Amino acid sequence: MDGEKKLSRNKNVLLCVISVLFLCILLFPLYWALITSLKTEQEIFQIPPTFYPHELNLKSYAAQIEMGDFNMFRSFANSFIISVGAMVIAVLLAVPASYGIAKYRFKGRKVMLLSFLVTQMLPVSVLLTPMFIMFKNMHVYNTWWAAVLADATIGIPFSVLILKNYFASIPKDLEEAAYLDGCNRFTAFARILIPIAKPGVMVCAIFSFLYAWGDLAYGMTFILDQERRPITAGIFNFMGQYGTKWSYLTAFAVVTIIPVALIFIFMQKYIVSGMTSGAVKG
Amino acid sequence: MKKKRMLALLVTLVMAVGLLVGCGAPKEEQDVGGGDTPDESGGAEAVTIWYYWETEGHQVALDKVIKDYNASQDKYEVTAKYVPFADFKKQLSIGASADELPDVAILDSPDHAAYVEMGIFEDLTGKFDVSNYYEGTVNSCTVDGKLYGVPFGANCLALYYNEDMLKAAECEVPSTWDELKTVAKALTKDNVTGLALCSVQNEEGTFNFTPWLWSTGATSYDIDNENGIRALTFIQDLVNEGVMSKECINWTQGDVMNQFISGNVAMMENGPWQIPTMQAEAPELNWKVTLLPKDSEYASVLGGENYAVIKGGNVEGALDFLTYSTSEAQVKYLMDKFGYISADKTIAEGQFEADSPYQPFVEELNYAMPRGPLADWPSVSDAISLAFNKVITGNATPEEAAAEAQATIDGIIK
Amino acid sequence: MVKRKKIFRYDNVGILFVLPAFLYMLVFVGYPIARNIILSFQDVDAGNLVRGAKNFVLFENYIGLFQDGVFRTSLLNTLCYTVLCLFFQFVIGFALALFFNQRFSFAKPIRGLLLIPWMIPITVTALMFRLLFATDIGVLNYILRSLHLIQENVEWLTTPGTALFALVFANVWIGIPFNMILISTGLTTIPKELYESASMDGANKAKTFWHITLPLLRPTIESVLILGFIYTFKVYDLVYVMTGGGPVNSTHMLSTYSYKLSFEMFKYSKGSAVANVLLVILLIVGVFYIRVTTKEEE
Repeated sequence: MDGEKKLSRNKNVLLCVISVLFLCILLFPLYWALITSLKTEQEIFQIPPTFYPHELNLKSYAAQIEMGDFNMFRSFANSFIISVGAMVIAVLLAVPASYGIAKYRFKGRKVMLLSFLVTQMLPVSVLLTPMFIMFKNMHVYNTWWAAVLADATIGIPFSVLILKNYFASIPKDLEEAAYLDGCNRFTAFARILIPIAKPGVMVCAIFSFLYAWGDLAYGMTFILDQERRPITAGIFNFMGQYGTKWSYLTAFAVVTIIPVALIFIFMQKYIVSGMTSGAVKG
Repeated sequence: MKKKRMLALLVTLVMAVGLLVGCGAPKEEQDVGGGDTPDESGGAEAVTIWYYWETEGHQVALDKVIKDYNASQDKYEVTAKYVPFADFKKQLSIGASADELPDVAILDSPDHAAYVEMGIFEDLTGKFDVSNYYEGTVNSCTVDGKLYGVPFGANCLALYYNEDMLKAAECEVPSTWDELKTVAKALTKDNVTGLALCSVQNEEGTFNFTPWLWSTGATSYDIDNENGIRALTFIQDLVNEGVMSKECINWTQGDVMNQFISGNVAMMENGPWQIPTMQAEAPELNWKVTLLPKDSEYASVLGGENYAVIKGGNVEGALDFLTYSTSEAQVKYLMDKFGYISADKTIAEGQFEADSPYQPFVEELNYAMPRGPLADWPSVSDAISLAFNKVITGNATPEEAAAEAQATIDGIIK
Repeated sequence: MVKRKKIFRYDNVGILFVLPAFLYMLVFVGYPIARNIILSFQDVDAGNLVRGAKNFVLFENYIGLFQDGVFRTSLLNTLCYTVLCLFFQFVIGFALALFFNQRFSFAKPIRGLLLIPWMIPITVTALMFRLLFATDIGVLNYILRSLHLIQENVEWLTTPGTALFALVFANVWIGIPFNMILISTGLTTIPKELYESASMDGANKAKTFWHITLPLLRPTIESVLILGFIYTFKVYDLVYVMTGGGPVNSTHMLSTYSYKLSFEMFKYSKGSAVANVLLVILLIVGVFYIRVTTKEEE
């Protein structure tokens, strides 16, 4: 037996309708950005505002293609590489760390936990200069590595704090059983615990990726060459260039959102089920 | 034994981390911003430039000059990097701390003194003849009698007006504040506001406010008096009477120009660099430029950029390039493409036809004064921009705002 | 015959799991923290950033801050902003997590789509909200007027009080998916058997929520709140793009003010001092969090 109560048909329909309503409200700003990008500047300034473009204007999208030395696709690739790199580092380091923090009672544990918190407390304004000096000395200034290493510092503490709860909720007897089967601490961790904590690991991976994806300050400061900069830097330049020419700006926003949204929609089966299934078996 | 194993593990882990961190140090050196390493192409020395112009026309023009220069000789290879304006000061600051700077920076003239104070600019006294340049432009890169830069080009602010709108409202072109207010009122109707000027709370806003301040006879450092208060009151009245939108505090100069060419604004304060864009984007629009209306005297503000050579970089190469780019032919080309006015008086006077829309700016330049030069100008500017933002938003009376700004400025100047 | 193995113990070996991440953070953030503390006790500005002596001035920068009106505003703003954001995004996120924890047909796909706001770079989000909150062309004013909730257009971003509200609104929008998904995942760690036995015992929904869901979710809730607090407290991009600290400095946060001091006005030491105030406040919250959580474990 599944153990799940099946919802009655009516209730199911009702909940579906409500959820669609939620979705519409929450995604309204996106809809607004989309239609604004398709309006003419005149229509944007029209009062009262129109809820769909009465006159379709694709000029703003054409402008994206012919834009100086800025290459949208390359910027995307840069963002993607940086985000994946930061994600890999964050997950590799944070997963064992969170397990150690959650389960073991060693000396200095509290201090370490606190230090994971502290390390993400500095505002970006004072991190930039010292990090810059470090990256320069490490000869990674103006490379993807600089942004990757910096972005990982956002993902690691976050992942540690989230994941430690997962590991804490896994009963000890599972590990003991593995131990009896001849595993040591490290193999028990790798073979038994990580698979159980999979939803947590997925969440951390996704969040680490997204933190890096949304980062502006690091990518802008540590990478000088346009050819290696992430897409967020492109948006920033674009803003400087077009001020509040809303059709252009929103078109740019839409173009940056679409690939992420697409990746997400196609992967969502894996992402969402990865995040929310695979609960701990008592 | 257990302890030993632990130790071994520890060492391995530390090494693993070291590797992870260390792997950021690849063997091949990356070609970075401030490189004075020889370039691969034929052993020419690299000279890097940072600039912040986001306008495509400006970038293309600068690139052309650089390309021509690179082709004209084979000792140096110049490359230019665009660093967004909002990021420019930060990047220079960080670069100064980390000793990672370009060889040449083209920077906003009011910031020049602060970087001189920082000690990152080369003393260029006697290396360039600037005797024929507008005084204000030279002053902006002079500290203690020494020249720390070369003016790239000059601009100033003047009043643009929509001729058709003025005609429709049967208005004359305003030349005093009173006339300006009357005309602006007459032009304000439906979705059109009479006047717009960028009032963002930063240097850009200060740039646009100072002409009004100075026109009363007040100076940037002496605001809390009848004159300073009159300037603030004038701006506040424009907003309160609805002839200037409060949104101006969020509009950059580019936004103001967009509002103007979209026909939402009948008159605007703006600079000559907008002209190429305006001509391209709104060729039908019928506009003209005139001197900024005056209170007690005509006044405008001097804008523009200066070249600066970075200490410790490729100074020889930088100087060589600057000699080329400040030669008459190059200056003429650049100024033309930029919509700037040459800092060199002789070039400026013959730069435009009599009926060119740029000509009023050349005239306006006679009344244009520089901001500063003062190492602490950013702090003074902050106090000024706070003052006019406060009166625009109705957060303070002109008297209060002036007194507050004065207190801050006195604290800076001492 | 059965070879007796030592029973699995959680001993000091655990430190090895933590060390790599710890060292990584130490290297990349430890140095900036140390440098920042030193800088805040010095008098570094444009004049002596590169050359010249850097003098120690003890607490002069800090004392100066507390006489600085903009600093006080930013401190107050940061606190208000954080508390408001945290409250709304947590409550709404929690409610949505519970809602989507029910097994109706659209639950999974729509919960997935609700994450999209979280994926948009904050720069873009800030832009979108600037458009929504614009005075004349903003759709929010239009909707509110159509509903007769307001008579005249509200000048959201050009009036001090409402600008902060607009920032909170935008941040809550970003934060809802964050809270929702973390709580959703937390919900998966609660064994279903507990609910089953509870329903057999005749417990109603409210009871199960208070007696099973909340207590078991407590570690997750604590983590979500502390992380939310930290990330909200040091907000930067959103404010920078949406209001830039204006109008009249009314929406400056500690982080944006620190940035402005350091990189726009060349007052590096003062900027560091502001950042350290931020750090100390977060540190207090952090210590409090550790004490609460470790007490539970013991």
